Amino acid sequence: MKSTLLSDTDHIEVRGLRRVYGTGDKAFEAVRGIDLVVGAGTVVALLGTNGAGKTSALEVVEGLARPTAGEVRVLGLDPVTDRAEVRRRTGVLLQTSGFPADLTVAEALRMWASTMTSPRPVADALDELDLAGRADVRVRSLSGGELRRLDLACTLLGEPDVVLLDEPTTGLDPKSRRRVWDLISALRDRGRSVLLTTHHLEEAEELADRVAIMHAGRIVREGTPAQLGADQPSTIRFHGVPALVGLGDLPGAIRVATRSGMTTVHTRDLQTTLHALLGHAAETDVRLPNLEAHNASLESVFLAIAAGDNDPDEPATSMEGATR
Amino acid sequence: MTLLDISPHRIAGLARANVTLVARNRLTFIYAVVLPLLPLGLLLVGDNNSSGAAANAVVTALMMAALFPVYANLLSQFVTRRDELVLKRLRTGESTDADIIVSLALPGLVVALTTSALAVPIAVVLGQDPPLNPLLYGLTVVVTLLLFVAFACWTAAWTRNAEAAQLTSMPVIVLVVLGQVATAFPDNVRRWTDLTPGAAMADLVRVSWFGFETGSTDQTLAFSDSWAAAGEPLLVLTAWAVLAVFLARRSMRWEPRS
Repeated sequence: MKSTLLSDTDHIEVRGLRRVYGTGDKAFEAVRGIDLVVGAGTVVALLGTNGAGKTSALEVVEGLARPTAGEVRVLGLDPVTDRAEVRRRTGVLLQTSGFPADLTVAEALRMWASTMTSPRPVADALDELDLAGRADVRVRSLSGGELRRLDLACTLLGEPDVVLLDEPTTGLDPKSRRRVWDLISALRDRGRSVLLTTHHLEEAEELADRVAIMHAGRIVREGTPAQLGADQPSTIRFHGVPALVGLGDLPGAIRVATRSGMTTVHTRDLQTTLHALLGHAAETDVRLPNLEAHNASLESVFLAIAAGDNDPDEPATSMEGATR
Repeated sequence: MTLLDISPHRIAGLARANVTLVARNRLTFIYAVVLPLLPLGLLLVGDNNSSGAAANAVVTALMMAALFPVYANLLSQFVTRRDELVLKRLRTGESTDADIIVSLALPGLVVALTTSALAVPIAVVLGQDPPLNPLLYGLTVVVTLLLFVAFACWTAAWTRNAEAAQLTSMPVIVLVVLGQVATAFPDNVRRWTDLTPGAAMADLVRVSWFGFETGSTDQTLAFSDSWAAAGEPLLVLTAWAVLAVFLARRSMRWEPRS
């Protein structure tokens, strides 16, 4: 923790944000009233399927679009009316990178630096994202991962206090992804605030202090990854449908499902259920191939929400009903 | 979009990248730099004693300078950068909309201004008089270039991609060329073609530099008369510029249609 640590305030505040595209019969409400807070030194992941409204919401925080209703504050300022001040302290990464194809990596980065009030040296940024060896390569010849890293180098060039990343690691190979994750963690350690969207559950679990799951324009769950998982049953899985009677009667078990030759036991008490299951299997001399036991993960929360996608107008109420 | 919210520092950095891009594409370079300089050659080959021929050469040079480096070049750069999502990306940073437009237009504007300025010493060396009213000539150049920057932004709004620009630029090109060729039309038609930006610009060049009254190729105007004689075409050209800025601001699009 260095002296660059910022005061402990909320860097991003979103209240009752709504965003409607079009008018009249063609109007589509992409964001249906969301609240979100990102405190200094935290990483918040906006998680959701494609079309959940993540990018539409983020564009308002970025100041690229005005909200239809509600309020957005970044560093206590309005991203549209206080644009100059907010932009100087914000780093944005759009979902798709945009650079002139005929510039080299170094030229593109220099161009970006020339628009900033106080950029870091271009060479440092190239090193940080492992692009120094590609400095003289034209943008059109870059791989998807290299292009994304160039984009991120621009995002972080002004040492922004607030970092907004729309699907930062989509299209990256595992090594590049790990590098980006390390960078994002380092930002948090320096007291920066990060709001990112992703549909990679692993990314949200690995990086985020808090996760907000968006579905059909609303935030249907919010909390730490652990909190979100706590509402969901743990699972025991194994191959085959063995002739074990009474799986559903195992202590703690709440549901048993068999699909594609896999048996899944859902339980509120993983240890007790697993202990009973293994005892039962040993007594009857039954093998349980590919046995796995999992605490509830973000994935199970996410899938439960996506599966509840029957009435897009009422997901918030039905989801809240399920939590309580 | 605030029109005057610009930063010289940001514009310089962005324009530098734009110059690099224009220079790297041979076709773009020829259209933006080489082509507009060619009409200056008309001054050389024209009849040295005829100020009417010289006036036509200057009008053609200025029209080419407005059409190619400014209008067509800005249109194609704007659409290409928009398709590459460069404009959207830039708008997430500190650059303002005005920074982005000015920096895209700047390389072409420099070429056009250079052409308009070079026309003066070349004409003088070849025995023509220098502009009768340099201020009015300069004003004509500035309003013309502003008009074509705005035309380019407006055309870009409904141009799907860089290839489509060849077609979508036709209305503006016709509007300009019509005024040029209209000198051959009967008077009752010319009453209308005089309202085109091309005719207004041509009239202004003839009045401000050569002191021609409308339709004439003899210097009849003195410096003091030139302002009054320029009134109508200047009003026409300014009205077009105001209209074009209004249309451009209304229809500006910064990302490709999805």
